[in-house]
Amino acid sequence: MGPLAPNEIISENTNFLIAFFIGIGFGWVLESSGFSSSRKLAGIFYGYDTVVLKVFFTAAITAMLGLLFMSLFGWIDLDLVYVNPTFLSSAIVGGVVMGAGFIMGGFCPGTSFCGAAIGKIDAMVFIAGLFIGVYGFAFTYGWWEKLYLAKYLGEPKVSEKLGMSDGLFGLLLIMAAIGMFIVAEWAEKKFAREEY
Amino acid sequence: MNSNSTTGRSRKYLNPYLGGVLLGLVLLAANYVSGRGLGASGAIKSVVATTIETVDKDSFSTMPFMAEYAESHSGSPMKSWLVFQMLGVIVGGFLSGAFAGRLKLKVEHSPKITSRRRLIFALAGGVLFGFGSQLGRGCTSGSALSGMAVLSLGGFITMMAIFGTAFALAYFFRRNWI
Amino acid sequence: MKQLKLLALIVIPLGIIIAAVPADRVSQSRLTPHELLQEAGAGMQFIAPDAVADLLVQKNPSLRLIDVRTPEEFDAFSLPGALNIPLSNLLADEYTDILNQDAYVNVFYSNGSVYANQAWMITRQLGYDNNFVLEGGLNYWFGNILSPEAPSETSPNEEFAKYDFRKSAAAALGGGGVVTTDQAAPAVKAVKPPVTAKAKKKPSGGC
Repeated sequence: MGPLAPNEIISENTNFLIAFFIGIGFGWVLESSGFSSSRKLAGIFYGYDTVVLKVFFTAAITAMLGLLFMSLFGWIDLDLVYVNPTFLSSAIVGGVVMGAGFIMGGFCPGTSFCGAAIGKIDAMVFIAGLFIGVYGFAFTYGWWEKLYLAKYLGEPKVSEKLGMSDGLFGLLLIMAAIGMFIVAEWAEKKFAREEY
Repeated sequence: MNSNSTTGRSRKYLNPYLGGVLLGLVLLAANYVSGRGLGASGAIKSVVATTIETVDKDSFSTMPFMAEYAESHSGSPMKSWLVFQMLGVIVGGFLSGAFAGRLKLKVEHSPKITSRRRLIFALAGGVLFGFGSQLGRGCTSGSALSGMAVLSLGGFITMMAIFGTAFALAYFFRRNWI
Repeated sequence: MKQLKLLALIVIPLGIIIAAVPADRVSQSRLTPHELLQEAGAGMQFIAPDAVADLLVQKNPSLRLIDVRTPEEFDAFSLPGALNIPLSNLLADEYTDILNQDAYVNVFYSNGSVYANQAWMITRQLGYDNNFVLEGGLNYWFGNILSPEAPSETSPNEEFAKYDFRKSAAAALGGGGVVTTDQAAPAVKAVKPPVTAKAKKKPSGGC
């Protein structure tokens, strides 16, 4: 019964080794989908390239359905799967700062490594910036500690907060995503730009 | 359908929906095997922690943020799931680029701006993103993508904040992209 | 657009299926046999009779006694405030909310401890928490709580403390009439039996 590592079906070292291979898969798919290009990544914000939206939400839905169905068949124990904690204040402020970084830099950490791997210098510079930013946060942590720890709500799921089952929320998310995809298709035709 | 190819040489990108399904399967595998989703910014934190510890052990132990990290990681701070995953990402990205003929050392920038300008913004963006990822306990991969797959409220909130802000600020940076 | 239609055609029906399935079928937290063996081997299901007596005397509202014997035996004698859920009926729908909850501390008891243990095994395997077994069952209860044996002169102090506690408890619970020497508060402390220490670990993660 999964997940394998928390149930100690595989050792920690095996877990790390598999992490490496999962990373290869991650990097491969990202690069193949065009996430190594900052131009394509920024495209969602101007309408000319909605690859981020499509890949992102399709991946989220696929994994979500996969987890729910695996749980239904008894192949995985969802209690042992990590659910990101919710610290309300820092989640929002951190997200805002990241959003600014995204539109300026045209990358996020994962994609910047893909870009750097194929030789994109702007990606490498972005990574350098990441290190500076992380170090800067650690160095000035005292200023942010209160914000960082504020409003801890535990690890709630959206479905819990909305008072519906996981499956029902999943269906709603799917419908919303399909709706967004339809808008995205329209936008790409309308806002098309030359490539560079 | 968006089928990008810069020249006849490099292969086209994957269909985004197919890419999404494949990425979802990778994410599912991570959850099944390791009980956690994908991520990225955490690996940066590991490297920064290791660097500080190696270079200046004293200030490392006085930094509360780093101390909290050291507590949850017995042994070397580099021995973390995310570090191994990111090493794989580099390899995977490289292989994919190699097979598709996309390997090229260059600065990707809009022809309307100089590459210097692009690099300045890349650096600034990286600094902001690095900072924000620590505050937000994750980036688009770890918090938004992986968080959404497990229906985490925090994940959704972070995702909306990231994309909402980027959309709101897009107008001011349009020169750089379009 | 073609690919989108294909995606929608696959994903929407799957979403409908997963939304239609009742929620508790989708997430399960049953124990593996391995985990169950670990817990049973460690004796994690037992709660000491002294602890139960203490809870009863203090009228602690979180205690809920469950008699798993037959209704006839239940009518003949039962512990104060106990519910009767005969073992053969344990999995009836009407009892699910009683057995699967986290407000009360349920304590199964039977004459010995065989049936109570069986009830625990079954509910624990389903992933229910907060269910325990009265150690020694009613047999021990009668012999030691309701009519406690006076310790010999050479016994250590704790024995005397226990004896005093049991006598006052017995009096409060309507057991064999004994004159109590002093009404000193019992030395037994544990109000809430060890509920946690699940064998499962919560994994770490995040970015």
